[in-house]
Amino acid sequence: MVRTIFIEGKYSEKVLLSNDMLNYLKGKKYHTLGLFASVQFCQQFDSVKQQLEKLSIKAATSTAKRCAVEGQLLGCDCSSDALNLNKDVDAFLYIVDGNFHPLALAYGQNWNNVFKEIICYNPKSNQFTVLSKKDVETNLKRYKGALTKFHSTGNIGVIISLKPGQEFYKKSLELEKKYTDKKFYYFVDNEVSFGQLENFNFIDVWVNTACPRIALDDSEMFRKGVVNLKEVLRAEVF
Amino acid sequence: MYDLELDKAVQEIKRTKAKLVCIQLPDGLKPKAKEISDEITSKTSAKVLIWLGSCYGSCDLPIGLERLGVDLVISWGHNQFRKEEW
Repeated sequence: MVRTIFIEGKYSEKVLLSNDMLNYLKGKKYHTLGLFASVQFCQQFDSVKQQLEKLSIKAATSTAKRCAVEGQLLGCDCSSDALNLNKDVDAFLYIVDGNFHPLALAYGQNWNNVFKEIICYNPKSNQFTVLSKKDVETNLKRYKGALTKFHSTGNIGVIISLKPGQEFYKKSLELEKKYTDKKFYYFVDNEVSFGQLENFNFIDVWVNTACPRIALDDSEMFRKGVVNLKEVLRAEVF
Repeated sequence: MYDLELDKAVQEIKRTKAKLVCIQLPDGLKPKAKEISDEITSKTSAKVLIWLGSCYGSCDLPIGLERLGVDLVISWGHNQFRKEEW
C-alpha cells in the first residue's frame, strides 16, 4: 500500500445557525439534541453548542464506532450499535453539506419503535432539511425482504471488495461454517458492478461485504436482493 | 470555504521526497484538482496524478498505484477511520 496522508478540508468559515433553524428548534421544544457532523465541521462544535444553549437546548455527542474524532459520524456508521451515544436525545442535529452521512442516523434507527428526526443543517447555504422514517422506509422494507430470502434460499453470491478499507474476504468465509446448508459463491470487484449481477443468474440472493450502505441505498440495483455480511453473521439460525 | 491546506501537502511531498504523487478528491472538491496540481508542481519537483475515480471515504483509497511507482497518496475530504472488526 502506498503511503497515504489525509487532509480533512476543514470548513474555514464560522458555522452560524440561521434564524429559520433556531426558530424551528425553538418551536419543537427540544431539550437535548444529539449533535454530529462530517469531519469538516467538527472543530466548531463548541460554537454550535453555545448557540443551542441560548435556546436552553443541550447537545450530546459521542465518538462513533468507525470515527477517530468526537462528533464525527460516517455514512457507514449506519447500524444501531454504531453511535456509542449513552445519553437519551429528543432528536439529532447534523452539520453537513449533503444527505449521505446523516442518513446513517436514519438507518441506525432501523429496528426502533420510536424514530427521532434528523435535522440536517447546511452552513454553506444556511438551509436545513429534516429526515424522517419515510426517507429510508422503502430501502429498509426491501432489505428486510432480502434477509428473509437469504434464510430461505441456497445459492448465495458473496461480493468482495478490493478496497482495503472495505475488504472482508476472510470474515466472509465464516458464512460457510454458520450456514452449512447453503452454497456460497465469491465475487470480487473494485466497485460493485451492478450491471454484471444479472449475468450470474444462479444466485438467489447477494451478501454485500463492502460498504454497508450499498445494501441499503442501492438495494434496488440488486433484483435478487442484498443483505450485509454483519447482519447474516449475527443472525440467529433456526 | 474549505481549507485545502496546500502548504501541508507541499511540506509532506518535500519531507518524503516523493517523486510521483497521486491526489484523490471527493466529488465536491474535484473541481479544485487544477489548483492543487498546479500548486504542487510549482512548489515541488513531483509529478502529479489525479485520481479519476471515486473517493467515498478513507475506506476507498486508490489501489494498484504501486505499478506506476506512485510514492505518496494525498487524499482530501476525509480522515483516518477505524475499520470495523467484529
